[in-house]
Amino acid sequence: MAKAFKYGVKGITGYLEPAERELLRSLFGDVVSMLEPEERANQDPLAALVGLDAEAREPSDRALRRLLPNVSKNDDAASLEFRRYTERSLRESKIGALKAASLGLDKDELVLTPADARHWSMALNDVRLVLAERLDIRDDEDAGHVHLMQDWSQAEDVESYLALVYNFTTWLQESLVQAMLQSLETGG
Amino acid sequence: MTLSVALGPDTQESTQTGTVTSTDVLSAPDIPWNLVIWNDPVNLMSYVSYVFRSYFGYSEAKANKLMLEVHKKGRSIVAHGSKEQVEQHAVAMHGYGLWATVEKATGGGSGGAGSGGGSGKGKGKRG
Repeated sequence: MAKAFKYGVKGITGYLEPAERELLRSLFGDVVSMLEPEERANQDPLAALVGLDAEAREPSDRALRRLLPNVSKNDDAASLEFRRYTERSLRESKIGALKAASLGLDKDELVLTPADARHWSMALNDVRLVLAERLDIRDDEDAGHVHLMQDWSQAEDVESYLALVYNFTTWLQESLVQAMLQSLETGG
Repeated sequence: MTLSVALGPDTQESTQTGTVTSTDVLSAPDIPWNLVIWNDPVNLMSYVSYVFRSYFGYSEAKANKLMLEVHKKGRSIVAHGSKEQVEQHAVAMHGYGLWATVEKATGGGSGGAGSGGGSGKGKGKRG
């Protein structure tokens, strides 16, 4: 069983079982593949280099739309223009955090630098956002309902399995963030 | 990276009669945009507070107050600035997975940053 992250002399440390690391590795990988921008044959290489994407549009997938939201609530044209300038680099920075967290999964014992911890918290958050869309968590009531699912022996279908995974990543992120908050207190 | 919200001494109490409606911070011409964070059922309260503290450099009290405002009212204006500044913040917030939008400050503002002090601070949710 995983141990909660804690903050101590070595920095932020945690412990994960091999099966848990495998699970996280595949979750991080799944979100990376969702975020990976499709390469287009006729793309202007210079534009791509500076992060421009004239073809960018609001994602049709709900989970992806949550990861890459519109910047304006009610001005679609402004949101689209903004997306063309920023979405590619946003995708890349998210992918960077997910891959960095994934790289740290080689050992049972996790020792995180402040930068590692930031990447981990972002990666876990993105994983949870995606799982929450798949689980149709729309409000606090839905979240509470999913939260009841804690017993792995109850996993009998995809939905209950996803709920258990969601709760595991929630628990892990909460313990990580508590450790990060503690490190802020001590200025570490 | 702290964004200064404080205004300069341009509020010379121009000889208005009657009551002074304060908090027209938002209508100052040089800071006409707001960064809004929206509530969602996924982001942990502790995480939202952590992001406000570490990214904006807000105090624990201010970060928690804004976080609770998001949680209870559905949204909160967490920073002001030029369009470019708040857009830059929005991308950073999206990087963290927070649901952020930008909007032109209206002056009459709904759900302003200064209103509604939550009393139960630090209601940390345990996962």
